[in-house]
Amino acid sequence: MAFWNKKRNEEPGREKSKSLYPVLHVIDSLKDYRRELVQKEVDSLWEINEIGRSFGNVLKETESFQEKLQDFGENFSSIGQVSGEFLTVKDTIAQSVAHAQSGVEELKGSSMQVKTYFDEMEHTFEDLQQAVERIKLCTDKIVSIAEQTNILALNASIEAARAGERGRGFSVVAVEVKKLADEIKELTGEVDSGLQNVELGTEHLYGNITTSQKALGRSIEQVDETYEKFDEIIHSAEGATKVHGEISGVIQDSERALGMLCEFSDQIRGCYQEVMEHIGGAEKLGTTKSAMFEDIDNMMSQIPLVIDDYMEKK
Amino acid sequence: MKQYFGMSQSGDLKEAVQGIRTPQLIMLFSNGEQFEAHVRQLEELFPGVPSIGCIGMCYGSRIVEKGVGVLAFSEGVSAAANVLEEVSAMPVKYIERLEQDVKSVGGSRDNTICIDFCAGNDACVLTTIYSVLKRKNISLVGGTGDAGKVSANGRVYEDAVAYAIVKNQNGRVKAYKENIYHQVEGQRFIASRTDKAKYMIGELNGQPASQVYQRILNISVSEIETQTFKNPFGKLNGDDICIVSIKEVSGNSLACFRQVNDSDVLVLLELGDFKETVRDTIRSIQQDFPRISAVFSVNCLFRYLLFQQNHYLQEYLQEMGRLGNHAGFVGYGEHYNNRFVNQSMTCVVFE
Repeated sequence: MAFWNKKRNEEPGREKSKSLYPVLHVIDSLKDYRRELVQKEVDSLWEINEIGRSFGNVLKETESFQEKLQDFGENFSSIGQVSGEFLTVKDTIAQSVAHAQSGVEELKGSSMQVKTYFDEMEHTFEDLQQAVERIKLCTDKIVSIAEQTNILALNASIEAARAGERGRGFSVVAVEVKKLADEIKELTGEVDSGLQNVELGTEHLYGNITTSQKALGRSIEQVDETYEKFDEIIHSAEGATKVHGEISGVIQDSERALGMLCEFSDQIRGCYQEVMEHIGGAEKLGTTKSAMFEDIDNMMSQIPLVIDDYMEKK
Repeated sequence: MKQYFGMSQSGDLKEAVQGIRTPQLIMLFSNGEQFEAHVRQLEELFPGVPSIGCIGMCYGSRIVEKGVGVLAFSEGVSAAANVLEEVSAMPVKYIERLEQDVKSVGGSRDNTICIDFCAGNDACVLTTIYSVLKRKNISLVGGTGDAGKVSANGRVYEDAVAYAIVKNQNGRVKAYKENIYHQVEGQRFIASRTDKAKYMIGELNGQPASQVYQRILNISVSEIETQTFKNPFGKLNGDDICIVSIKEVSGNSLACFRQVNDSDVLVLLELGDFKETVRDTIRSIQQDFPRISAVFSVNCLFRYLLFQQNHYLQEYLQEMGRLGNHAGFVGYGEHYNNRFVNQSMTCVVFE
């Protein structure tokens, strides 16, 4: 006990002689704390820096995601455009079909006109056949007349021979009449033969016209069928309008959903930016603290020197 | 108030002070050879008038590189000048002088400014001075003089800061800081392993500082010292950026013209359109002050060199002259409130 008291008695003397030593001690301790604080500040700033960097990346990714969403939206609009082109194609088909139909109509009209001509030709051929028949009757009659004339000429020759010399001249006339009757017969034979050829030719031509008429009839049927096919094409193309409508509906739904996604993404980005602003604020505070550390250091570094100066003077 | 700037390119102080009548504060900018003589002579010419001085180039409408310049405030100014000594160790020892001067001038934030010329240990000096000024919200504008000498009230001091508390009795005052550099996107560093006494940066983001600087700018070691004209560092302080010039390479570290501390956040800066920045500053001042009595500025030596290289110095002085009565000096570091900066311009505008 006495030992401790002795020690205690010695201490006050030292404290008295160096009365400002505890202040120096406090300053040394404060310096240590300051050093540690600065180190912690370095670490904090580094962490904030890293958070800022990471969030910067998140923000970049979000922006990239948003760009992709926008691309997505552009794709929808492209689909809409393509679908719209579908309608244009449909309209083009309808126009072409209408054009073709009008062509078919014209073709049908001209075919009907040809058919009318063929019908008229048929009637003309019938008239021709009747005329040929009438000619044939006429030639038959002429042949009959020529034969009667021949008989008359023969009878006249016999009568001329009976009349002797006085009938000689009459006999010459009878011979000449016979010759003429023979020539007429011959000529009517030739006309008959020509008529037969004409009859054969007209029958052949008539056959051809009939065949052509049938073929034309079939063509007109085909034209009618083609016209109907075109109607079917137009009807089918009209289906594209419905498909386009459906596609547009789906696109509108998707665009609405995309819009919601974009809004959501905007909100997230807004939140991220808010976080970034807070990080920036924390960083600014950090840098302000750094300047304050410098001020603290500048002030504290003077204290030991002031104390030394004070003690020297004392 | 009125500001008069007189100068003599040949260093003739009498010639420089010819136009000065009844000054209320005098600032002297002299050369290394004549500084002591000029201080003594000035005190003889204007005894008892508060004065501060330093060694350095000065300018009005033209630059004075080797002669002498005298700037005087008169008519409507109250001022007190003094020094804080032992700035390399404990300027706070003399803090009562400053407190007394602030009290005697009796100014406030809107009408009073502290102008200082410092001989060294600027950051510590500014912290110390501003610990008094901030109580009154008084701004500070100043700079570092050459040769470690300053003067106050007719006496030369070494290892000291000379200051003047100036109150504009007829209008407002406001301090400005101009930065002709802008931040390079994505180049942000946390300084560590710093030596504040030697103004050294050991590491940036945990990597050797000189290697980081070389890598980001793709330059060789020998190019680092001149690169600072184009790409100094900026020390972030809230919304403000304080420029830090690189002085030299020391091993893997970078020695700077300003103290950098552990946990300081630095950014890489890049020279911008300085002519446009100057025009912006002028526009900003003109918006704040429709009527200007005087502008006193401190321009960094690096800016002086940069402007000279770009044949812009004379144009710059003419541009600033458009504000009204403009004069100032070329410093080795600039002071703005409690911030010690490099490669900047600080100025005070008197209404």
